[in-house]
Amino acid sequence: MIEAYLIHLLILVGIYSVLAVSLNLALGNTGLMNMGHIAFFGIGAYTSVIFTKDLGVPFFAAFLIAGLLTSVFGFILVYATRKLRGDYLALATLGFSFVIYSLMLNWSSVTRGPLGIPGISKPCFFGLCIANNLQYLIFVLIISAISIAIMYIIVNSSFGKLLAATRDDDIGLRALGKNTFMLKSKALMISAFFAGIAGSLFAHYITYIDPSSFMLSEVILIFTIVIVGGIASIKGSIVSTFLIILIPELLRFLNIPSSVLGPARQIIYALILLVIVLWRPKGLFGKIDLE
Amino acid sequence: MILAQLIANSIIIGSIYALVAAGFALVYSTNKFMHFAHGVMVAFSGYMLFLMFSILGVNFYISCFITLILAGLLGWISYRVVYEPLQKRKSSNVILLIASLGLLILLENTLMIFFGPDIKTINYFGIAKGIDILGAIVTPIQIAIIIITLVLLVGLYFFMNKSKIGRNMRAVADNKELTSITGINYRSIADLSFIIGSVLAGIAGILIAIEQNLTPAMGTGLIIKGFTGAVIGSIMSVPGSIIGSYILGFAENFGVWFLPSEYKDAIAFILLFIFLLFKPNGLFGVDKGVRNK
Repeated sequence: MIEAYLIHLLILVGIYSVLAVSLNLALGNTGLMNMGHIAFFGIGAYTSVIFTKDLGVPFFAAFLIAGLLTSVFGFILVYATRKLRGDYLALATLGFSFVIYSLMLNWSSVTRGPLGIPGISKPCFFGLCIANNLQYLIFVLIISAISIAIMYIIVNSSFGKLLAATRDDDIGLRALGKNTFMLKSKALMISAFFAGIAGSLFAHYITYIDPSSFMLSEVILIFTIVIVGGIASIKGSIVSTFLIILIPELLRFLNIPSSVLGPARQIIYALILLVIVLWRPKGLFGKIDLE
Repeated sequence: MILAQLIANSIIIGSIYALVAAGFALVYSTNKFMHFAHGVMVAFSGYMLFLMFSILGVNFYISCFITLILAGLLGWISYRVVYEPLQKRKSSNVILLIASLGLLILLENTLMIFFGPDIKTINYFGIAKGIDILGAIVTPIQIAIIIITLVLLVGLYFFMNKSKIGRNMRAVADNKELTSITGINYRSIADLSFIIGSVLAGIAGILIAIEQNLTPAMGTGLIIKGFTGAVIGSIMSVPGSIIGSYILGFAENFGVWFLPSEYKDAIAFILLFIFLLFKPNGLFGVDKGVRNK
């Protein structure tokens, strides 16, 4: 019993750590204030489900298509918002997530609207299917490890240094003849790709998706993870995912009614976010201050 | 017939949006950051009225009065506790924006825990028969909403333009550094903008509570609408954001003529996104500090 519960939590930690590290790649390493990251997660989830369930594409292909299509949305977003900065960029990306949310809610012929899509199959590879949660955990851990390793290499490469330079001094870098728009769009496309595959992992684990999994409160959740962990710190994001996913679970041992559990969890996220923003803007392992 | 009804509905919902947007734009223009938790002031006020009038049985008008005081107080406390320390540290607008979203989620879920997720209604005026105005059926409460909103907004206009405090507020909105040299105390102006903005939100909360229903999550929905209205007009100007809110009210109601009715909310989201991308300073705003050169 307790093992099944721990496995469930660890699967969530695995999925959310990919989501958090990919957000941090855009937000921390490149300085792109993307509040639409949850929309990428949702696009990945829906794409993967629609391709496997409605079109009969094998899981692994749908998984990659989910990442690639989300990446295309990443380019659309970065292209559309290329002239905005500061809080207007943040708001436009937030607006983007609202648009995607209403698309999921209203494009009923494809997404089944508010009813959501139930009965999503677990992944199969060449006839071998994942049978239980322990196997799914192993699968998630492999994918997360590969994804995070790729992002780690990207961040520490010369390309990653250029991304950090666009964050710190966009104009200076352009004066050196670098195309910062290209750098930013690559960064956001990579970030969106990993958010998309995290969405696919999430959908095939939960086996049911509806638009409410991709709403404003979830934006706060992943922002809390990244900000608590620290801007531009991959290690921070991973440690923080553990903390943020596991801390509210302590509420379960307090015997409070389940109707209170959801709001109480949101309150904990919001309080942690406010405390960190007010008193420790570097987060746990942040390299640079949140400005 | 349908046309008249659509126009009436647009004006009613536009009035509610305008009350939310006016307070939001007042805070933004004075302080230069997005106070998203403004939406929860509306929900908070609705629930305070519900608590005092429906649960504790206090006289309706006294309940309204106390509700407005509490709304102003909550707005003021959120400024002093959350935003002011961040401003002192010279945090960027984005950080203040994130903090305001955190505050929104915090307060909204607190309401959810205290009052439960189910819908609450305050049925003080009973169900009145609609009045036929040029073919549109409008209830007396809805007429009251329109009149109260217009009176308040005209009052706000005169306050901002004719009174000394109002002119100081506009001066701070225009140039904070310059006004501090002339001896205007920024802190008290910021306090005041939060108190007035939150009281306006409180009035919106009371009107919604008696005309529609209360749900804990209504604040998020309303601030998105109010914010959209403000962006359409101009987030920097209170009159602009009011006009923008009415435009949004009309766009939502007339959009349903062409689109399925579920798309009503999507219309606001799409307008918001389009305006942020192509005209982030709104129809009546000046282009200042919005775009990259």
